[in-house]
Amino acid sequence: MVNLTIDDKQVTVPRTATIYEAAKLNGINIPILCHDKKLKPFGACRMCLVEVEQMKGRQIPACTTPVTEGMIIRTSTPDIIKARKMVLELLLLNHPLDCPVCDKSGDCDLQNLTYEYQVNSNRFTDEKFHHEIDYNNPLIERDMNRCVLCGKCARVCDEIVSYGALTFIDRGIETKIGCEFDDALNCEFCGSCIAVCPVGSLLARPFKHKARWWAMTKQKSVCGYCGTGCNLTLGVKDNKVLTTIYDEDQGFHKGQLCVRGRFGYQFINSDKRLTKPLVKKNGVLTESTWDEALEIVAGRLKVGSSVAALATPRLTNEELSLFRTMLLENVGTKNFDHAAGYAHSALTEGFAGSFGATASSANILDIQKSDFLLVIKTDAYETHPVVGFEVNMAVKNKGVRLSILSDKRGKLSKLPDAKTLVHMPGSEVAVLNAIAKIIIDEKLVDASAASIAGYAEFEKALSAFSAEAIAAQVGIVASDIKKLASEYAAAEKALIIFPTGQAYTGHNADLANAVANLAILTGKYGKEGCGVLCLSEKNNSQGAVDMGFYAQDGGLNSLQILDACAAGTVKTLFIAGENPLVSYPDRNRVKAALDAVEFLIVSELFLTETAATADVVLPVCSYAEKDGTFTSTDRRVQYIKPAIRKNVQIKTDFEIFSDLISRLGGQAPLRPAAQFEKIASNTPGYFGMSHITLQKDGAFAPVKITPAFVTPHALATVAPETGKLALVTGSALYHSGSLSQYGEGPMHVCPEGYIELSRSDASANKIAENDMITVSSATGSMQLKAKVSLRMPAGVVFAPYHFSTAPINTIWSGAPVTMVTLVK
Amino acid sequence: MNPITPIINGMKITLKHMFMKPVTLQYPDERPKVAERFRGLHALKVSHSKAKCVACYLCPTVCPAKCITVEAGEDANHDKYATVYEIDMLRCIFCGYCVEACPVDALKMTGEFELANYSRQDFIYSKERLLEKQ
Ligand code: SF4
Ligand code: SF4
Ligand code: SF4
Ligand code: SF4
Ligand code: SF4
Ligand code: FES
Repeated sequence: MVNLTIDDKQVTVPRTATIYEAAKLNGINIPILCHDKKLKPFGACRMCLVEVEQMKGRQIPACTTPVTEGMIIRTSTPDIIKARKMVLELLLLNHPLDCPVCDKSGDCDLQNLTYEYQVNSNRFTDEKFHHEIDYNNPLIERDMNRCVLCGKCARVCDEIVSYGALTFIDRGIETKIGCEFDDALNCEFCGSCIAVCPVGSLLARPFKHKARWWAMTKQKSVCGYCGTGCNLTLGVKDNKVLTTIYDEDQGFHKGQLCVRGRFGYQFINSDKRLTKPLVKKNGVLTESTWDEALEIVAGRLKVGSSVAALATPRLTNEELSLFRTMLLENVGTKNFDHAAGYAHSALTEGFAGSFGATASSANILDIQKSDFLLVIKTDAYETHPVVGFEVNMAVKNKGVRLSILSDKRGKLSKLPDAKTLVHMPGSEVAVLNAIAKIIIDEKLVDASAASIAGYAEFEKALSAFSAEAIAAQVGIVASDIKKLASEYAAAEKALIIFPTGQAYTGHNADLANAVANLAILTGKYGKEGCGVLCLSEKNNSQGAVDMGFYAQDGGLNSLQILDACAAGTVKTLFIAGENPLVSYPDRNRVKAALDAVEFLIVSELFLTETAATADVVLPVCSYAEKDGTFTSTDRRVQYIKPAIRKNVQIKTDFEIFSDLISRLGGQAPLRPAAQFEKIASNTPGYFGMSHITLQKDGAFAPVKITPAFVTPHALATVAPETGKLALVTGSALYHSGSLSQYGEGPMHVCPEGYIELSRSDASANKIAENDMITVSSATGSMQLKAKVSLRMPAGVVFAPYHFSTAPINTIWSGAPVTMVTLVK
Repeated sequence: MNPITPIINGMKITLKHMFMKPVTLQYPDERPKVAERFRGLHALKVSHSKAKCVACYLCPTVCPAKCITVEAGEDANHDKYATVYEIDMLRCIFCGYCVEACPVDALKMTGEFELANYSRQDFIYSKERLLEKQ
C-alpha cells in the first residue's frame, strides 16, 4: 500500500494503482476519454491531466502514471481546468458536432465533457474531416469523422477479442482508425468496439435511430443464448427491446458480449412470435383459447406412463423443476430429458463418476488465474465466445500458456505461443488417455493420486494407450503428446476446458472422465486456477442438470423417448421449447417419432418445424418477459426479472405447468419465487439462495468434489475411407442452438448453413468458395454452400448444425465423425 | 346612502362606455391582427423541399405536456429524418419550448389559432398537416 494526498485528502491505495485509479477508489472523479479499466493504460487524450507537486507542478496524465509514496496530487486547479478545456477545444475543432442525428448523443463522453467544462466557443478554426462513412456491413457503422482517436476500439479488439480488425492508419492530422488496406470492416462482429467507443464513431446499425439514449429504460438481464451466462443491459422503450447497452461494471466479463448476446435480441419482439394457443382441428392448427388448449393437454397427460417430455435447457430453473415435479408426481412418468439426451452426459455421467458431482470443478474466473490451459477443440471459442475472451486475456496479459487439442485449427490457435495438436477427428479421448499414461510412466503423478479410488484399475487399463501407438492412430507425433503431458503435469496451476453441446456428440462422459482423470492424477483440481471446466451449451444447461431434468432411475432418455414414440409405447409427447427436427441427430428418426406419436404438445416462442407438426401449440415467453433463475456453466445462479411486460395472450412455461398441475388435481406454487424456495431447500449447492439474495450479482453454487478414477475402455476408432471426408459437426460463432435464427444480428452475418473444407480438399474436388455442393453420407444427402478455409486439415470438413433451412441432421445421425462425399 | 346613488353611478359608467372605442372584435367578420411572436399552431419548416427536422427528439423530450411524438428513420442517403412527427393539440399548452429546443431551427409557431374541430382525432396533427405551407 502507498500513502499519498489527492486534493488535500490523505489516501492509501494499492501499490499497483495509477493516479486515476487511486482517485476513483477514493471518490474523486478525474475525467477520462481514452481510458478503460479493462484495457491497458494508453494515455492518448490528455483529458485526465493532474498536477503533481513533486514534479514541479507539471501536468501529467493520471491514467498512465503509477502512484508513488508521498505524492501530492491536485486534480482540478484553474490551470488544469484550462488545459482540459483546451483539449476539448482541439477535439471539437474537426468534430462534425452533429449531435442531433448522432445516436451516441446523451451517452457521449465528448458531449458530456463539453457540457461539464462549458466549452461554448472555439478559439481555433479548421476544416472538418471528410472521411467516408463505412456502411458496408449490416451491424457496425463506422463514421471516422466523429472519432477522437482514443484507440479504445483497436485496443479492445486486440487485447480482449484478439481479432485485430482495427488499428490506427495514416499519420499526423490524417490519422484515423481503419481496417486492413483501409477497406470495409469485416470481422467477427462482437460489437465490443461499439461498446467502448466514447463517441458516436462506431454505432450499432440494427439500433440506428431507433431511440434516444435517455428515452430508454435500462433493464438488467442475463443473456439467453449460451452457458457463459453473460449479464446484459437491455434498452427498452414502449415495451420493446431495442438494443443492448454496455455497462462496464456488469458481470465477470465487465460488459463484454459476443455477437449473439449483443446483436441477437430481436427474437424477443419478433412479429413471428406465437400469440395464441393453437389446436389441431381437422388436421390444421387453428387458433384456440387457453382454456380449451390446456384442458386438452391435461386430458392427454392424465394417461400417465405413456407420456414423455423433452425440455429445452433455455427454461428457467423454476420452470424445469416445476415441469419435473409435474411429470413425476402429477403425470406419473420418469421419461423426460433435455439436450438430446447426450449433450449433458459429460456432467451427468462423466463428472458424476469422476467428481461425484454433476458440475465442473472450476469456474470461468479460474481461466485468468491459471498457468496452463488445455482446451479441447478450438470450438470452445465459437460455442462460448466470452469464455474465449477470458482465454485471450489470460494468454495475452497474464502469460498463461495455452495448448489445444483439436480436430481443426481455429481462432484460439492464433494466440501467441498457442500450441495446437491437430488430431484425427474423434480421437481426443485416446490422446488424453495417452497423456495420462505418460504422466504415470514419467512419475509426474501427484502424491495424492495413488490413494484415490480406482487408481490401480485405471493404471492397468492405460496400458492400451501408449503414446507411440496412439500417436500413430491419431496422426500426431508422439513427442508432441509427451511434451503436452509433461507441460500439463509440470504447471503449478492447470485448467482443462472443453465445450459440450448437441453437435458435439464426442464430448461425452468418456471425454469428461478422461480430462477429470488427468486433473485427479496430477492433483490439479479444487484449487484456484486448476480443475476442469465443461462448457455447457445453453444458457441454463447446467441448471437443467442441477434440477435433475434428465433421464434417471430407469426413465427413458431423449433418443429412447423418440424411439418409444416411433414404437408406439410413448403416446403423448410434451416438448417444451426443443426443436428436435432441426437440432437432434438423424432427422428421419426424429420425423418418424413425431409422425408416429399419437399426441404432440409443443410450447414454443415460434412456430418451429417441430411445433408445426404438433397437435397443440402453446405460445410462451422469452427470457425477457419472465422472472426466474439461470445457472451458468460454472454454476453461477443468476436472477432475471422481466425486462418487458409480456403479451397478455401468452403465458410463461411456469404458468402453463402450474395451471396443468391444478388441472391434474395437484397444487402448484403460483410464483417462481416460491418454487425457488423449494429448489434452494433440496438442490446441493443452492442452499440459502433466494430470488432476493440473487438480485444483484447472483451467486456461485459450490461444487463438492469426491474424486475417483474412472477406468477408460477401449475406444472405437473411425477408419478413414478412401474418397470420403470426415464430417465433424459443431457450432458457428454467430449462433447458439436454433434460437439465434430468430435474431437478426446473427442472421445478418451468418444466414445459412455451410460446409467448411480445407484448400487441398477443395482443389482436389474442384470446389470454389460459395459453390453449392452435394454432401452425401450413409443416411442421406443435402446441398450446402462451400467455405474454403485455412484452418481445416485435409480430409476433414466441418458443418454447423443451427439451421432449419439446411438441417445437417439429414446427413448426420449422431456419430462424432460421419464419412461423407462431396460432389459439386 | 340614498338608494338611487348606486344606480346613477352605474348608469354613468354605462354612458361613458357608449362613447368609447369597443374592445371586442366582431369575429369572424373582423379578424384580429396576430402579433408576430404569437404562439399558435406549429409548423415544420421546409428547406430544399424537405422538412428541416432531423428527428433529434429534443422537442418531445422537452415538451412539458408530452404531446409530441417523433419517430426517426434513415433515408436512402443514410440521413436521419422524421418518419412520424405528430403533435396532439388537445394536450399542447403552447409554451413554445419545442421551438426553443430545436437545434436546427426546424419548428416554428404560426399565428394560426383557429384550431376547433369536430372529432378528437382531428386534433392530432400529423407531419403532413404540420409542414409549412409555402
Ligand atoms: S459523437 Fe458525441 S459530440 Fe459528436 S456528434 Fe455524436 S453525440 Fe455529438
Ligand atoms: S466487432 Fe469485435 S471483432 Fe469486430 S472490430 Fe469490433 S471489436 Fe473487433
Ligand atoms: S472509433 Fe471510437 S473508440 Fe475508436 S479511436 Fe475513434 S473514438 Fe476511440
Ligand atoms: S451468447 Fe454466451 S458468450 Fe455470447 S453474450 Fe450470450 S452468454 Fe455471453
Ligand atoms: S427539436 Fe427540431 S429537429 Fe428535433 S425533433 Fe423536434 S423539430 Fe425535429
Ligand atoms: S484518459 Fe488519460 S490520457 Fe486519456
